[in-house]
Amino acid sequence: MYRYDEFDETLVRERAKQFRGQVERRLKGELKEENFKPLRLQNGVYLQLHAYMLRVAIPYGQLSAKKLRQLAMIADKYDKGYGHFTTRQNIQFNWIKLAEIPDALEALADVEMHAIQTSGNCIRNVTSDHLAGAAFDELEDPRPWCEIIRQWSTFHPEFSALPRKFKIAVTAATPDRAAVKVHDIGLVMKRNTQGKTGFEVMVGGGLGRTPYIGPTVREWVSKQDLLSYLEAIMRVYNRYGRRDNKYKARVKILVHELGVPEFARQVEEEFANQNAREKVLLPQEEVDRITAYFAPPKFETLSTKSATLDAAIAAEHHFARWCRNNLRAHKIPGYTCVHIALKPQGVAPGDASSAQMRAAADIAEKYAFDDIRVAHEQDLVLPHVKLDDVPAVYAALKANDMHASNAGLGSDIIACPGLDYCNLSNARSISVANEIQALFADPEFEDEVGALHINVSGCINACGHHHVGHIGILGVDKKGEEFYQILFGGRADEKAAIGEIQGPGLRHEEVAPALKRVISKYLELRTSKTEKLADAMTRLGQAPFKEALYAAA
Amino acid sequence: MSSERPKLGPDIPKVITAWVSATGRVVYLTKDRNWSEDLADAEVLTGAGATDILAWASKDQTRVADPYFMQVTPDGKVAGRETIRETIRAKGPTNHPMFGKQAGNN
Repeated sequence: MYRYDEFDETLVRERAKQFRGQVERRLKGELKEENFKPLRLQNGVYLQLHAYMLRVAIPYGQLSAKKLRQLAMIADKYDKGYGHFTTRQNIQFNWIKLAEIPDALEALADVEMHAIQTSGNCIRNVTSDHLAGAAFDELEDPRPWCEIIRQWSTFHPEFSALPRKFKIAVTAATPDRAAVKVHDIGLVMKRNTQGKTGFEVMVGGGLGRTPYIGPTVREWVSKQDLLSYLEAIMRVYNRYGRRDNKYKARVKILVHELGVPEFARQVEEEFANQNAREKVLLPQEEVDRITAYFAPPKFETLSTKSATLDAAIAAEHHFARWCRNNLRAHKIPGYTCVHIALKPQGVAPGDASSAQMRAAADIAEKYAFDDIRVAHEQDLVLPHVKLDDVPAVYAALKANDMHASNAGLGSDIIACPGLDYCNLSNARSISVANEIQALFADPEFEDEVGALHINVSGCINACGHHHVGHIGILGVDKKGEEFYQILFGGRADEKAAIGEIQGPGLRHEEVAPALKRVISKYLELRTSKTEKLADAMTRLGQAPFKEALYAAA
Repeated sequence: MSSERPKLGPDIPKVITAWVSATGRVVYLTKDRNWSEDLADAEVLTGAGATDILAWASKDQTRVADPYFMQVTPDGKVAGRETIRETIRAKGPTNHPMFGKQAGNN
């Protein structure tokens, strides 16, 4: 894991100190809210429905036990004993007092964390594959490049007042687990025809009120040129991105309005015209220095099979199911990646108590090389666990009610905080998600349905990524009543697609029964258990599922 | 991106609500120009003069942030198209009954 140098340390400490002064001035009345608001947003502080909310950056979703314990401490001392992991691999505290936020930022700085780049019209926290460095199917570990982009973008003076926020995601695996195609810039590490590793660059993806799948603007850019090329993209956006209308200010609108070829031409022109002083050419020793922080842990030489694990699977049905659903293949024989689904029945997706955070920290320290990831599915992941240790990890998770065995299944729902917490939301998300989860309370039924991504957003801003769920649910306000539009056909993976709205919105209480009919229809129509709902919709079209959705109950 | 509240005509009964600057707690403007955490204490406003009171509240920035009109019934109960939002705001999150004013611990 990357460790702060003296510059990082100074920068984060000074920022926390500066914000303390700003808060003091605000509370004395020397700063009006309208003047204070941009300052607090630059420090991840929002004013939500019931209280202030602090969003803490977790760069590319990576945590250590020490950091996670500090988040647990903040949850206990300054909040209500829990935190909410988000679709951007961050964590939010929903009940924090403004007067105490400077202390919380100091506490974050103590463990090399902060809330910078979690709000405002800047380049936001860089996200990545939660299995980075562990996945068997990745070209190489993308985290050093996430960190390089983080350092380049943090407080970049030219890009601190962009037309709108800007999100970058990086993956190095063919199965896209980082949803790179729905980011302002998506980077996929790949080899060129000469076998050299660089990046495919996509620009202009995004969700919100105008969703787009990001088109490729360059098939391959070298590692050495990456920052220069990103800088060229940012310059074109900064120059021509709209500032007159915040709903048309994202880079996706610029790419769409110019057209991909013209946007790409302008970027190439900017890139070609950068003079030697403007080029951001990283010295190889700096790349090596940062890469060294992400050196693999000291893996043992192990067999691909574990008798201990096999015996435990044979002995306990629930454990067997959990292994089937929550373990992911690791690149090193004898190891696995453990998915901790924060989605037990009836809990707000992504919520974790301080006790659970501490438990995850203890488990990571003891069994997982002190490495914990936040997945954009709002779950936690232990990327490196010995197969022999899996039963012990499961037992420790079970003791803390963190053993939901539904990773990637119907009840592993992505949902934003919705109208229960969010000041922008039109409708509740969490209660709808919980009612849908109840459809899958029978594990055998949930397994029978198989892989299914259901995403719920409480408003068009799409924090629950409803556009890219196999089934997406969007809360809308209709004359003061909560209604929910249903979308089919979305995908967030390498075959990313925007779901289509099926028709009139449903009332809150109608959503779960309607989805039950859709799932029954899928079970009736699928060719076999291996044909997933998303594939069945591709084969059959959406009509039969739409008919089921609106059929009389 | 800011949240925009519906415009309320002068004849619609309304109260002024905001957040306490230091804590973020939800409050309502009372007749004596103080802020109360209890909606029952709020002054119900009608008529053109309400706009002047909102202008006054908007200057009370040391104590509160972002005051706005919230529709109520003539006897001060949450009403109108933002009933669900304002009920949740007044009581607490529906998924977490142990938090918020509904639990006495906002």
